[in-house]
Amino acid sequence: MVTTLSRRQFLKTAAAGSAILAMPRFLAGCGPKAAMPAAAAQLAQGGFFQSAFGIDEAMIRRVLSELTARGADGGELYFQHATGSSVSLEDGIISKASSSVDLGVGLRVVIGDQVGYAYTEDLTEEAMLAAARTAAAIASGSALVAPTAFRRPPVPSYYPIEVPWSEVGIAGKLPLIERAAALAKAGDPAIDKVSVYWGDGADTVMIADIQGRIVEDYRPMTRLWVNTVARRGTEVQANGSNVAGRRGFEWYDDALLQEVASQAVDRTMRLFDARRPPAGEMPVVLAAGASGILLHEAVGHGLEADFNRKGTSIFADMMGKSVSSEHVTIVDNGVLPHERGSINVDDEGNPTQRTVLVENGVLKSYLHDSISARHYGVESTGSGRRESFRHAPLPRMRATYMENGPHTPEEVIAAVDHGIIAETFTNGQVQIGAGDFTFYIKNGWLIEGGKVTAPIKDINIIGNGPEALRKITMVANDFKLDSGGWTCGKDGQGVPVSQGLPTVLVSSMTVGGENA
Amino acid sequence: MLEELGKRAQQAVELAQRAGAQDAWASASRGRSVEYSWRDGALEKVQENTSRGLSISLYVDDRYSSHSTTDLRPEALERFIGEAVALTRALQPDPFRKIPDPSLFEGRPTDDLRLVDESIDGITVEQRLAWLKELDAGLHSDARVISGTSGVQDAHSMGASASSNGFFGTSESTSVWYGGEVTIQDEGDARPEGWMWAGARGTAGLISPQEIAATALSDALKRLGTQKGPSRKGLMIVDPRAAQNLVSKLLAPASGSSVQQSRSFWVDRLGKPAVSEKLVITDEPLLPGGWASRHFDGEGISAKPMDVIRGGALQNYYLSTYYARKLELAPTTGGASNRVVHPGSRDLAAILADAGDAIYVTSWLGGNSDATTGDFSLGMRGHLVHNGEIGGPIGEMNVTGNLLTLFSQLVEVGSDPWPYASLLVPTLVFDGVEFSGA
Repeated sequence: MVTTLSRRQFLKTAAAGSAILAMPRFLAGCGPKAAMPAAAAQLAQGGFFQSAFGIDEAMIRRVLSELTARGADGGELYFQHATGSSVSLEDGIISKASSSVDLGVGLRVVIGDQVGYAYTEDLTEEAMLAAARTAAAIASGSALVAPTAFRRPPVPSYYPIEVPWSEVGIAGKLPLIERAAALAKAGDPAIDKVSVYWGDGADTVMIADIQGRIVEDYRPMTRLWVNTVARRGTEVQANGSNVAGRRGFEWYDDALLQEVASQAVDRTMRLFDARRPPAGEMPVVLAAGASGILLHEAVGHGLEADFNRKGTSIFADMMGKSVSSEHVTIVDNGVLPHERGSINVDDEGNPTQRTVLVENGVLKSYLHDSISARHYGVESTGSGRRESFRHAPLPRMRATYMENGPHTPEEVIAAVDHGIIAETFTNGQVQIGAGDFTFYIKNGWLIEGGKVTAPIKDINIIGNGPEALRKITMVANDFKLDSGGWTCGKDGQGVPVSQGLPTVLVSSMTVGGENA
Repeated sequence: MLEELGKRAQQAVELAQRAGAQDAWASASRGRSVEYSWRDGALEKVQENTSRGLSISLYVDDRYSSHSTTDLRPEALERFIGEAVALTRALQPDPFRKIPDPSLFEGRPTDDLRLVDESIDGITVEQRLAWLKELDAGLHSDARVISGTSGVQDAHSMGASASSNGFFGTSESTSVWYGGEVTIQDEGDARPEGWMWAGARGTAGLISPQEIAATALSDALKRLGTQKGPSRKGLMIVDPRAAQNLVSKLLAPASGSSVQQSRSFWVDRLGKPAVSEKLVITDEPLLPGGWASRHFDGEGISAKPMDVIRGGALQNYYLSTYYARKLELAPTTGGASNRVVHPGSRDLAAILADAGDAIYVTSWLGGNSDATTGDFSLGMRGHLVHNGEIGGPIGEMNVTGNLLTLFSQLVEVGSDPWPYASLLVPTLVFDGVEFSGA
């Protein structure tokens, strides 16, 4: 099937049985990591594809040689071995598990901004050479000399874990899942049904490029999702909460289970009293944490350099210009410890970094992959990411957030006479060219006369990116990074991301609701 | 190839049984796809793949699990299935989980679904480039165009499934899609966009590249000078391209899992009037050439047409064998095939002409709905309609309400379903809709 929405970038919670679930803010309290045990350390050091599949440097060289037989400005082999495991509880029993192995290699040739791509799930030399010839067909120049020796630059470790997920048996997970369900069931007498979804896994990737660089990364990911259904008389409400990160089994302590369960219950129970706000334009207070969805949609996508290189972003002519209040500094960061959007290296093998997009209101940088970096004559920002070996990389966000400003959250709320607070979200979307973006509020609050008065629910907000940036009038000092399991979609590829925000006031956006 | 896939599925079932599973269901697949894109006068990307995979569901000592892998090396597959069986044993027994009863496999239709058109395998590089150049020329036929991207994708996929209790079936389909997206310069910074893609099972079913490019460009040009729309309550006319989203949200909670888990506004509403009688929806798995046509579903249940909504009431849930057993109902199918909204007699132009004052929705932006309550809120773009005339473009607006209420206020169904989807929906007209804008 064709992705007809490719110009509309969207952000959503990855499906885990239910389509609509609220997202959590991050949970504090994860201490520093102990030294890595031997198994995990070995995975981080690499050599996996050689030991498991016999992919040695000589074979890589032969495949790269075929890949560049008609010339190339850039290109690489992207080997991936992804394993995933999930367990779920429904109606009181843990009765479903699943596991997956996804193995393959993607081969890319880049000529200017042209790309030839092929992949194969068969890691035999014969299959890889055939795929290399297919990818090379885009080029028409003379052969490059494949690297005679390979460099293995050091790779940082932003997400060490104690035990690789493949070595964590299911037996240890079951009591935690049952505990999370029991906590949620006990959270309120009105809770009728609880379901829990547990997911874990890891991507082992190896990137070998035509410049002779080999980079390997072990990327763990885990998520816990608690969904609750509550009943009051004949009225039924459902909601949920989840946490995700590049973490190991050791992350799951009782405090974390309690927080996820209580958030799920709280967010469900609050829906009984929630209403729809009045329709129209009004001030919107973005609560600290998941409200970073505003940045992701309103700014982040529009600063991905591919859209600007093609002139299709509303931000294409704004570099170096003032786009927001001096209180506003927006960052896209790939190096935060253990966050869902973090990467030790990007999917082109480049080092990742903290990239300042907007500094004190001035637009500073796009997010670059190697193609756009070459186009603009700058260094890559380490933002070249892909869903899997089946896709060519694109400039993508990692963890996008706004830094603290000078106000307090109380001051921000007190400044609003009639408006809303947006607190939890299910999804957002943006049109890159028109700049219009939306996000869907699952839980929020009404503000009347500078005071929080009543809960609201199920409301879409729509605004225009550059306009919303200009309308940010207050930024508080209570920054939080959200650790919900956000997945960003672009050109049919989903990648894990993070987002965060301090409490922020946008002086006017269009809020869905009912007309008086 | 189908024969080989069938053997692979059967071998996987045998491996599972040797490892201790009482029952197993396996599917093997293989696909080939080619994708070209072209931007602003030059080839942008060429991608060609052959892919393969295997998935297996296991029934072990009253326990259940499902697994998938693309690592098909014999020793790796044997280890993978062995570990999967061991994993299943660690779960808790579930009395509702059983392999589908073989009686459900009976009466499998043999209709020619026309899903395979061999012309796909004969598409040449020259043909793809010719289409792309025509699309590109059409997209760039206005001076305000900043960038236009065209694409063509064709695919041929095959699958085979086998079970330990006697199911065996194969499936095969081809498709070719092409289309384009265009961005134009408006006054100020805004860069409106338009797109159009069309597909068919074979090259003979395609509409011309010129027509596709003209639609994409015209859609972008119609967005020039977009203003923020008003806040008001009134008539909403939804274009067929946008109407799918509403029907999809209405039907998603009709799944057995949603209903059984009490996360559905359809709970206790089976057979009871809930929406306008103008809305009639059937599930049509045997539609020739349909995007979701099939002879059997993912559990092997033989395909048959099914009433979904008729007489203003939901007539059937989408029930897999598992949730049917939990709900003490007979299984239907756990997965929708082609869902057809039965068309009315007038097309969009005729409907608009005597609509009086309304808001015409051409596309949605974001938004969501709550499956438990039906509450929804969606971003929208479209046009004001005044005295039956389409006015200027409007956007930055939301439509908010409840899905059951909305569909009870359905006043007309058009005659013009959008054909490029498995959910076939014509123009829809609703009264009393809440718009939120300036």
